[in-house]
Amino acid sequence: MKNRMYLFILLSFLATSCDDFLTEKPTNSILADEAINSEKELYLNTVATLYNHIGEYEDSKGLMGTGRGVYDLNTFTTDEAIMPTRGGDWYDGGFWQGLFLHQWGVNNTAIQKTWEYLYQVVMNCNESLESIQRFSESHPIVNVAPYQAEVKAIRAMYYYYLLDLFGRVPLVLDTKQVDLEQSERSELFKFVVKELQAALPLLSISPSNRPGDYYGRLTRPVAYFLLAKLALNAEVYADNNWTDGQRLSGKKIFFTVNNMQLNAWQTTIAYCDAIEALGYRLENKYTTNFQVYNEISSENIFTIPMDKMLYTNQMIYLFRSRHYKHAQAYGLGGENGSSATIEALNTFGYATDHVDPRFDFCYFSDKVYDLKGKPVVLDDGSPLVYMPREVDVDISNSTYVKTAGARMKKYEIDKNAMEDGKLMDNDIVLYRYADVLLMKSEAKVRQGMSGDVELNLVRSRVGVAPISATLETLLQERQLELAWEGWRRQDLIRFNRFTRSYTSRPQLLNEENGYTTVFPISSETLKMNIQLKQNPGYSH
Amino acid sequence: MIKRCAMILVFGGLGFSLYSQDTPSKVQPKDSIFNAIKKTTPFQSEFSFKDAYTNQMDRDRHTNPLNIIAGSVPGLFIKRGKNGPAVLDAVRLRGTTSLTGGNDPLIIVDGVLGGLEMLSSIYPSDVQNITILKDAFETAQYGSRGASGVIVVTTKKGVKGKTQVNYTGAVGIISPYKTLDMLSGDEYRNLAKEKGWSILDKGLNTNFQKEIQQVGIEQNHHVAFIGGNNTSNYRVSIGFMDYQGVIINTNTKNFISNMNMDQDFFGGLVNCEWGMLGNILKNRKLLDEQKTFYSAATFNPTFPNHINPETGGWDKTPMANQITNPLAWMGVNNRDMTYSLGTHGRLVFNWNDDFKSAFFGAYTYSSTKDSQYQPTYACAFGKAYRSERSQETLLANFTTSFKKKLGIHLFDFYLLGEIQDEIYSGFNTTVTNFSSDIMGYDNLSLGALRPWEGTGSFREEPHQLSLMGRVNYTLANRYFLNLNARTDASSKFGVNRKWGFFPSTSLAWMVTEEEFMKKFEFINKLKFKIGYGLSGNQSGISSYNTLNLMYPNGVVPIGVTPVVTLGKIRNNNPNLKWEVKHTFNIGTEMAFFNDRVLLSMDYYSSKTTDMLYNYDVSVPPFSFNTLLANLGSMRNTGTEIALGFSLIQKKDLELNVNVNMTFQQNKLLSLNGNYEGKMLYGPQYKAISKLNGAGFHGGYNNIVYQVVGQPLGVFYLPHCKGLVSDGRGGYKYDVADLDGDAKVNLEDSKDRYVAGQAMPKAFLGSNVSLRYKSFDLSVQVNGAFGHKIYNGTSLSYMNMNTLPDYNVLSGAPKQKIQDQTATDCWLEKGDYLNFDYVTLGWNVPLNVNVQKYIHALRLTMTVDNLATITGYTGLTPIINSTTVDGTLGLDDKNSYPPYRTFTFGLSVNF
Repeated sequence: MKNRMYLFILLSFLATSCDDFLTEKPTNSILADEAINSEKELYLNTVATLYNHIGEYEDSKGLMGTGRGVYDLNTFTTDEAIMPTRGGDWYDGGFWQGLFLHQWGVNNTAIQKTWEYLYQVVMNCNESLESIQRFSESHPIVNVAPYQAEVKAIRAMYYYYLLDLFGRVPLVLDTKQVDLEQSERSELFKFVVKELQAALPLLSISPSNRPGDYYGRLTRPVAYFLLAKLALNAEVYADNNWTDGQRLSGKKIFFTVNNMQLNAWQTTIAYCDAIEALGYRLENKYTTNFQVYNEISSENIFTIPMDKMLYTNQMIYLFRSRHYKHAQAYGLGGENGSSATIEALNTFGYATDHVDPRFDFCYFSDKVYDLKGKPVVLDDGSPLVYMPREVDVDISNSTYVKTAGARMKKYEIDKNAMEDGKLMDNDIVLYRYADVLLMKSEAKVRQGMSGDVELNLVRSRVGVAPISATLETLLQERQLELAWEGWRRQDLIRFNRFTRSYTSRPQLLNEENGYTTVFPISSETLKMNIQLKQNPGYSH
Repeated sequence: MIKRCAMILVFGGLGFSLYSQDTPSKVQPKDSIFNAIKKTTPFQSEFSFKDAYTNQMDRDRHTNPLNIIAGSVPGLFIKRGKNGPAVLDAVRLRGTTSLTGGNDPLIIVDGVLGGLEMLSSIYPSDVQNITILKDAFETAQYGSRGASGVIVVTTKKGVKGKTQVNYTGAVGIISPYKTLDMLSGDEYRNLAKEKGWSILDKGLNTNFQKEIQQVGIEQNHHVAFIGGNNTSNYRVSIGFMDYQGVIINTNTKNFISNMNMDQDFFGGLVNCEWGMLGNILKNRKLLDEQKTFYSAATFNPTFPNHINPETGGWDKTPMANQITNPLAWMGVNNRDMTYSLGTHGRLVFNWNDDFKSAFFGAYTYSSTKDSQYQPTYACAFGKAYRSERSQETLLANFTTSFKKKLGIHLFDFYLLGEIQDEIYSGFNTTVTNFSSDIMGYDNLSLGALRPWEGTGSFREEPHQLSLMGRVNYTLANRYFLNLNARTDASSKFGVNRKWGFFPSTSLAWMVTEEEFMKKFEFINKLKFKIGYGLSGNQSGISSYNTLNLMYPNGVVPIGVTPVVTLGKIRNNNPNLKWEVKHTFNIGTEMAFFNDRVLLSMDYYSSKTTDMLYNYDVSVPPFSFNTLLANLGSMRNTGTEIALGFSLIQKKDLELNVNVNMTFQQNKLLSLNGNYEGKMLYGPQYKAISKLNGAGFHGGYNNIVYQVVGQPLGVFYLPHCKGLVSDGRGGYKYDVADLDGDAKVNLEDSKDRYVAGQAMPKAFLGSNVSLRYKSFDLSVQVNGAFGHKIYNGTSLSYMNMNTLPDYNVLSGAPKQKIQDQTATDCWLEKGDYLNFDYVTLGWNVPLNVNVQKYIHALRLTMTVDNLATITGYTGLTPIINSTTVDGTLGLDDKNSYPPYRTFTFGLSVNF
């Protein structure tokens, strides 16, 4: 009997030590449950951690700076920019031609990865909210409301991008949610507005673009900006059936702002005014906003902080645009790609006597010079001359296969940039005050008021003559002022111009119904999540 | 003198090995294979079928122990190193059964478990024998680690009562013999003139492919000291290998030492065995194979093959940014050094003849240092990288066996308990912005910047426990039954899912032991066997996948201070469990005419279930787009046939022919499955490998896919009907509208079809050996059939659109293709037959006086890779056709030039 007891004790000892031996005890990472023990860690690991995803370095990730993601889907699908096929370069299996011609297909990896990126951040936000909730239960003294508000505002911003790109998407608000049915676009729209409005009072009024406690964060001016954008696009976002050719008028879409019922245009104006009240103003020089140390800008509202030593965020747009020799002249790399379209050249008045001064801020054209002012030359000693008007979808057989197209300038060259120039110190500008003025002007015009003052503030800063604000001049002005800033697709859709045909881009069959104004949900995503339904006009 | 020097083939297991050396040569001392088997596997039952094929004669000239048996064992596929010697690229036993990895067989050297890399710590001359275990019940003893088969290497031991010194050595050259036929400088220049292109013409004719090649020199030396008395023996050896590759600046150096000691105590009651093997392997290798060969083929051929004396640097052009001056690229210094030490000890208690117990312990440590420097002329600003990765394994087991004979019934019991602790750790750092190239990676302080993401370290520590019991029952010496029960536990799996139970069983019938067979005298051996068993796999996954963990995920500014935040970086799966392979096998072994004809046939069918894999999952509900889970399943079937003929067996003349064939089939059955009560649906088509290079970024350049219902790795491509005018004076690929929707759509699952498989359906290995008096000749031929290769190299280099920035094949201007759409146009048959080696040997007759000092002397001459017979039009059909990764089935501008080696060898016994 005694022996048996010893045996039993021995066996249970063995079983326990086996269990212990087989239990994992990682030392190069930490269990999520143990990662948040103080308010500082709460902020770091639930809120600050999310800001790592605003800028990114991988394809299809990040809101700006990277390729094949949100920015490219908003830019290379429009009359603003083109990535011509240049012989062996930039064919890339037809990807860029597909974007330009609106033939992106339902199985486009970039579209799928962009969806996955946006939802990844949404799910990270949900995890953060659950962690904050758990923390608050164990630390009732800590006021977690500001952290919750900031995370919810970030989540709302990502839903804004999702509803803008994909129309109907599932509204997922916690990590355990099983039902993934899509919400109507208008419901998503209401949700995003409501969440941002609720967060407003808890967000700091500090500028986000300046080094300091709120550098790179979603502060109140950023939320105001998003609310203004949302209201300005209310006709599009409140439209659940975007292929029926009908939109509810913005005058009939109402928001509650400071306990007042305002229509979409009044709401836009109200939030633009709120931004102005925080002290934002146009910089005297347009280029200040894009210089190497642009943190000092009084105009930039939301930026992606860049520092080649610290952050992994990359900016590939200059790298992929400039000619090899041109980049070499700066000691950087180039991929000789993205260019201005014929439409953009026309808008800027390129090669006319009334060329807009911003053309020179935004584009390299004709002869270009190195940092010492010497002309950049080709291998054979002849000067490099960009030929803006020679662009087309495929210029492989053109004499100007390598030199066609006006190239992206916009940002000051950071001579000390690394990784071919992709790691530069200029912060990437997401939202800025010039856009606020143009939004306000447009809202006024749509409301039946005069928007001349705001429009001409923007124009006079670069020394161009005042004009009267109409929808036509505003769409043009937005192109002139905001070239390469990723707004063109949204603008064209709001102005009902996205699906029209233009140089080298014929309208697709049935496209006039507007089905291409939202992207398809990737057929791979549909296969993996059988609850989802494809957007109208796209096959499975 | 060698009486029987030809191939020695050992079928069957311990105790009744049917084929033996009747008079072993002096070069191979008389310790014999059977001794070795007894030593290393003291409790292996008599009822274990092993195929040990050892080609004794030629092992001295091989660089890796496995090359000795390459092509000799059905079901075993070995891909030799691309840049010549020493390192193996892939080894597969009975194909690919897992998607996460762990497809390399387990390597056991004298009881010490390890991976393929352990083989480079053994000098081929030290190998006593190699045993291949494939069937489930054979590998049961090794549990989950043996799921993909086991290769047991036994090194030579000392011989009781004998003292010897053996030297073997060889010197040779390795010589590339083929390059792609690109436009020469003149052709390029003339074409540019004709077309009116602006090119940078430096006026020369340089074939950069040839410029980066070299005729490499190889040498290896090995000395073994052997000795012993009645109760103890030892064997100590040291070896050194030095090989240059076919590309300049590439080389491999390997220093190996091996020690074995064996001693009996207490009148044989206790036997103690101790061994240690260590090596230091140094490589200098190419940093980026594709960039190297892509650059060498397509870089402007008018450029000089030397540094520009005016600038003191290499001439470069930024116009082609996917390539660089290949000679400048050769300045990249990329080295690694691995040092490893394995030591093991075994204490055997021979309680009596039928009852034994043993303790076994092994400790291995290996560490690899990587050092890389990309000079400022190869990479703007210069870049240095250093890292160290190490692996420590501690394994201990206790075994006991007991035999009982009751009349014609023989029972054999075996018990095993085992514990294993592994530690993987390492660090790395990257430094950039070097002010000069003079110090390279030897002084990182010369670099100004250390980006945050460039430095890191890691550690993981997986644990395993195993228990096993086995009964072998033999009836009347001819009926055999084997039952195995094994349970394994791994720390990598979820709570309550750590343990897995993997039983196996087999039956065999030795027909030739039956009375009624006595009249068929010409049949020496006839045996049938059948088996079924389960094995677990976990080696392809890393630790901590079940835990909800946070890792450093980036730097954010907090005020003016940069701070690192933590975040999730992958989905965790708390339900992770063992992947299980169910294997059924049936086979026969036969020998006729006094062993002059040998035949073995095996059929196997294995089904992998709960297949571990990083499944694509939907975001949302998951946060990340892959989840490591146990969902799908896969089937592998195959037939293996080995034939051996001793056609001539005379005193002065012998001729032996061995042929083996393997037919393999693989099918991915499903990627769907239940996860936490919810069905997860894997994608029907998932790309595995895609084209790279100029104009191939993204888009529809995927070539090899994983398609449910198809073999793993199929070419899923648009169909090209031929070439049509592109309306610009050239031609483009005419892509067929397969789905009949009146438009061509290159997306997955649209106008695409399954055009063939990347993995061979059949392998052939054949060895012919001939001896005349003291001369012998041996030829080894290996082949692979039934698969296809995508010739992405030709697709790229035939596209006239890439001119003048990238050079093209000399045939391109005639064909005028101005397109690089990936279609089946460049899908070619991959069948090949390769003459692996031809060796001529001479056992020098020595007179009695000389024999006092020199017991044996042998000279050999070998040509490796004599020729490849293939219809494939690319450089070589010997590419990656077996490993599921981004290069599977794809020849994409990254093939080393094919090479031959010519070696002279010497072997002396003092």
